[in-house]
Amino acid sequence: MFTEAYMQRALIVALLLGPLCGLIGVFVTARRMAFFSDTISHAALAGIAVGFWLGFSDPTLPMTLVSLGVAVLMLWLKERTELLTDTIMALLLSGSVAFGIVVMSLLKGFRGELDRYLFGDILSVGPTDVALAGVVTFVVGGWVLWNLNALALITAHEDLAHVSGIPVRALNYAFVLILTVVVALSIRLLGIILVTSLLVIPPAAARNLARNLRQELVGAVAAGAIGGFGGVAASFLFNLPCGPSIVLVCVTLFLTTLAARQQRRTPFLRPRVP
Amino acid sequence: MAEIRFHRAGLAVEVRGLHLRLGDTAVLRGVDLHVPRGAIVALIGPNGSGKTTLLRCLLGLEKPDSGEIRLLGEPVGPKVLQRVAYVPQRLQLDRNFVLSVREFLCLRLKSARRWMWQGHRQTDDLLRAALADVGIEALFDRPLAGLSGGQLQRVLIAFSLLTGPELLLLDEPTAGVDNPGERSFYELITAIHQRLKLTVVLVSHDLSMVYRHATRVYALNGVVCCEGTPEEVMNADSLRQAYGIHVTPYHHDHPPGHHHVH
Repeated sequence: MFTEAYMQRALIVALLLGPLCGLIGVFVTARRMAFFSDTISHAALAGIAVGFWLGFSDPTLPMTLVSLGVAVLMLWLKERTELLTDTIMALLLSGSVAFGIVVMSLLKGFRGELDRYLFGDILSVGPTDVALAGVVTFVVGGWVLWNLNALALITAHEDLAHVSGIPVRALNYAFVLILTVVVALSIRLLGIILVTSLLVIPPAAARNLARNLRQELVGAVAAGAIGGFGGVAASFLFNLPCGPSIVLVCVTLFLTTLAARQQRRTPFLRPRVP
Repeated sequence: MAEIRFHRAGLAVEVRGLHLRLGDTAVLRGVDLHVPRGAIVALIGPNGSGKTTLLRCLLGLEKPDSGEIRLLGEPVGPKVLQRVAYVPQRLQLDRNFVLSVREFLCLRLKSARRWMWQGHRQTDDLLRAALADVGIEALFDRPLAGLSGGQLQRVLIAFSLLTGPELLLLDEPTAGVDNPGERSFYELITAIHQRLKLTVVLVSHDLSMVYRHATRVYALNGVVCCEGTPEEVMNADSLRQAYGIHVTPYHHDHPPGHHHVH
């Protein structure tokens, strides 16, 4: 398994992006941005279609740019219009998917590519992706750790963060930017449909056992690594699509930690109010 | 010269001619406020009277259309806000965010940037002392999201006092806290005020607590309707001005000084 070059690349990328998604996911879930990241990932489909249309053999760049454009548009609409946040996201998500699929169906010979981007494919991870994942993990991971205090305080209370001297608006925009880049890169492995799960499930698994934020962060990074590595390995061994394999490993982790939580008598079900 | 005369020494908060529209509503219509250093000032008024908006202007969270604000003699900005602390109504904490009390307090300390990696003895001692000051040392390792409203308010007070502020701004700090909890909270604020000699400005709905604990009261309704000591402001005429025409302070069989608006 480890001798094939494409497998080495896929495993390296999984071991880089899995933990990174876990780390960022802690804040994505606490700030209820899961639907936001789903919208960004689905916008990537429009980017992929545009990329193929313009003749790119590797659509990473157009995919990232279109996702970024949609993310900025989403923030702008949220700040400047009376539209409800959910409406904005649903509009952009379904609009991008419809646009992407229509363009790809008009282009001859890209039908097969669609599956690969919807569900992820270890074969599609090229050397450029490995280099990009390395740089992004180093830069984004470093940025998140450096700004951990500020991000945690913004998550707890934005006004309090502002009064404490934190540049809230700039950090919020920066967070959206890095989230977009990480999502766009992770699409190679997980696919458009499932990429958000790597942001949501590892932190949820960690939270089952964590008593504080430090434990949740460490746990989410570990769960992301296990999910990424285990999923890619399972995909190779059993010839399964890569994205769903990663998700199933993550779900198994979640259920295991949930059982451990029940053992510790911190119930998962909320107590009934009489 | 006029400028120099205006910026009187000894004022913790100085507001002149503040106007602010939010959407179609003129929320603040020429508010003037002068809070002497060391006072406990209460901002009272009906819903929508601009109390919280005024506080948000003081904190730089809203930008007024016109008017001037000075805190501790300086215009509102990051520099002066380092000497100001703010206690919001409540945290918008998601139940899923497992920030502990200790971690939350660390966020206030620049020196505790590495809280992720190690429990620092000196920092922990400082944080435990801060919690002991507000009577909740036992909550040190508890997750913030599981605390009651009253406990959370005390954590927020401890958080705000960590940097040794000169001015403490509280926005309806006892909203969602039960009655005994509310009383002990105000007693805590008074004790802190006396011990640390800081200036306190609080927005409040509860006139009885204001009557008992504030040294000066501003009744607000878009403009400052009346100002003075609690005894001066809390009479029928002043309250009528602020709250509307059918309002009288009504004395029940409560402890002395307990007022309701009916």
